[in-house]
This record gives sequence, C-alpha cells and structure tokens, in this order.
Amino acid sequence: MAEIDTSGGGGGKHGGKVRAKKLSTKVDLTPMVDLAFLLITFFMLTTSLNKPKAMDLNMPKKMDEKKTEVKESQVLNVLLAGGDTIWYYETSDGKMTDMKETGFGASGIREVILKKQKKVEKMFGHTKDPYDKTIVLIKMAEGAKYKNMVDILDEMDITGTKIYAIQDIVPIEQETIDNGGKVIAGKEIVTK
Amino acid sequence: MPKVKIPRKSTSVDMTAMCDVSFLLLTFFILTSKFKPTEPVPIDLPNSRSEITVTDAIKISVDKDGKAYINYPSALFRLKTLEKMGEIFKNKYPYLATLTDKQKATFAQVETFGCDARALPDLLNKKPDEVSKVITGIPMDSADNQLGDWVMAGRYADVEINHPSARNAIRIAIKGDKQTNVKAVQQVIKTLTERDIHTFNLITTLAGGSRKAE
Repeated sequence: MAEIDTSGGGGGKHGGKVRAKKLSTKVDLTPMVDLAFLLITFFMLTTSLNKPKAMDLNMPKKMDEKKTEVKESQVLNVLLAGGDTIWYYETSDGKMTDMKETGFGASGIREVILKKQKKVEKMFGHTKDPYDKTIVLIKMAEGAKYKNMVDILDEMDITGTKIYAIQDIVPIEQETIDNGGKVIAGKEIVTK
Repeated sequence: MPKVKIPRKSTSVDMTAMCDVSFLLLTFFILTSKFKPTEPVPIDLPNSRSEITVTDAIKISVDKDGKAYINYPSALFRLKTLEKMGEIFKNKYPYLATLTDKQKATFAQVETFGCDARALPDLLNKKPDEVSKVITGIPMDSADNQLGDWVMAGRYADVEINHPSARNAIRIAIKGDKQTNVKAVQQVIKTLTERDIHTFNLITTLAGGSRKAE
C-alpha cells in the first residue's frame, strides 16, 4: 500500500550535512488494477453480448424446377396473416377445404403440424425419405410481418419438417381468409 | 521463559503481478472485441432457435418501413465494390465511374448506407457520417433494382479481394426488423434469387430475450 514517509525533512535544525531523503521506490498499483479490471469487465460484456445468430434459408433454383410429385394428402398449407394469426387448410380432390385459424407457439401451429405428421405417418408408414413425410407450404397473406416468417421457419425446425416451401399466395386463398376461412362457392380450386 | 515475539508483518501486498495479469487480459479483450457498427436506423431482430453465427457477410438490412440498406464487411471491400459498380454497371451508373479518389475514400468510411445511387456523387463530397444519415433506402423494385446491383458488385469485389472458391464465396445475410412487412423481405429474397443467389442467411437473435440488434 501507499508508503507515506512522515519523518521530518532532511535539513535544518541540527546543522549537520544535508542528506537527500531516501524515497521509497514502491508505487501504489491499486488504482491501476482497479481501472484495468473495470475495463476488462466492460470489454468482456460488450463482446459476448454482440453475437447475432443467423438461420440458413435455401430457395429453390428456377432452372431445375423438376416438378416433385407430391400427394395432396401429405401437404399442409399454412398461411400467415396479420395480427400473428395463422390459417391452415388441406385439399381433398384438388379442392380447398375450409380454413382453420390458429396462432403461433406450442399449442398453436406446432400441434397442427405434429398431428398432420402423425396422420401422414399412418398413411405412408414409417419412412426415412423426407418426400414421404409431411410437406408444408408457407404462404404470406396480407399483413404478415417478417417476425412471423422467422417464427414459422423456426417451427419447421422444431417439428423436424424437412420439406417446406415459401410460396406466393394465390388470390383465392386471400379471398378465403377475408371470408373468415369459409370456402367461397366456385372458388375452391387452387391452381397457379 | 522468554516471550516469543511475533514479528510485525507489513500489510501491503505487492500489486505488480496482479496488475500484469489484468492488463494482459485487458489487451486480449480489446484486441478481440469488435465494436458495434453504427447503424443508420435501429433494427429490432426477430428471435429464433438457430445458433449459426455469421461473421463476414454482405448484410442487407430492412427496416420497419421496408427500406433497404447495405453493409459490407470492410473499408477495402466498400472501396472495391464502388469501383466495381462503376466498371460493371457503367451504362446504368455512369456517374459512379467518374468519382474522384476523395469521394471513393469517403464512401469507404460509410459502414452502412442506404440511398439512391443517383444521390451518391453529391453526397460523397460531404463527411462520412452525413452520408450515413441519409436513409431514403436503396431502390429495389423491379424497374430500378439498385440493391441487386450493389450485391452483385459486392460479390465481384469479394472475388477480387479474397479469391474464394465457389463454396466459400461471401455470404449474403438479410437483417429484417420484426415488424417489417414480409412483402419487403420477400422482395429482397426475390432480388437475390433472380441473381442466382439461392442460399443466404436471416440474421436473428437467440430466442428468450428480444435484444436490440447490433
């Protein structure tokens, strides 16, 4: 610690030789260490908090648009709409069935996808081929936010859905959502 | 019996060793840390479970209003990209081919920029931080897709600087705000796929805490 020399000055009263006072060579390093640790803390905190994560996204190439044969019973159409709502439907005989509304999270779309997966597994049996499993088509309806898109991609990861595609929405689908999910008569065939 | 005298010990501790260690650590952290790049607009990233980290990438930011900004990894990269813009897209941006060295140097200092290329020559006569304050967004509609050109010029610049193999060419990352309309992000994705970029990253933060983006 700091050594403070309190002995009187070297000179004066006794009239003897003027002796140079011996100064201690020790320097108090405590404040310096304090400062150093403060800076270390600062740099540690700023570096670790600053790592953004990322998710991979692969879009199909236009050129090799080999049409993959997919059975309609294994397809689940998921439409993201405004206000964090999700509409989903399946098709039967090429016709759209009534849409149902759900939300994000474990009791929302995740449950829907897991149920669908069980259904598909019953139909196709247990298989390793991802093309024989559930296929999810994701479409963005009016009012969907970017956050919803990331959330649904996350949901694909959680449920282990390997084959999914982000597609453009068909006008009929948007109209059906606006109609509260009820299929409009004469407008149930979704074709591009 | 004589008294046993306990010698008085000094209470001062030698701080030199501790000081050495702490400064060593300090140097390490200073050297390894990267400071937050200055962003023209704050972007609130969405959360995801994904844990991939991206280091070097051309980052396309999309803000709440759907305006796009672009961020290149280094000053050298920005300089080369600007030169490539003037070279490759000479017919579309003749005014970028005739920039002075001083203007180019100013551009190299702007970390994230987001304005119409037409406004660039005038803007680059000003200071770098004034350039990054202009946040009109880079046009990316199909009639005048400047964003795509900036990405392509960036890829050419990457080839020149890093000589990457086909597999480790520079990554493109999209950094969208939570509240951005998904249409704006889809337009960016369309811009990329039209230019044969089919693999890219979406920058997110880990689920659990909604942190402001870097």
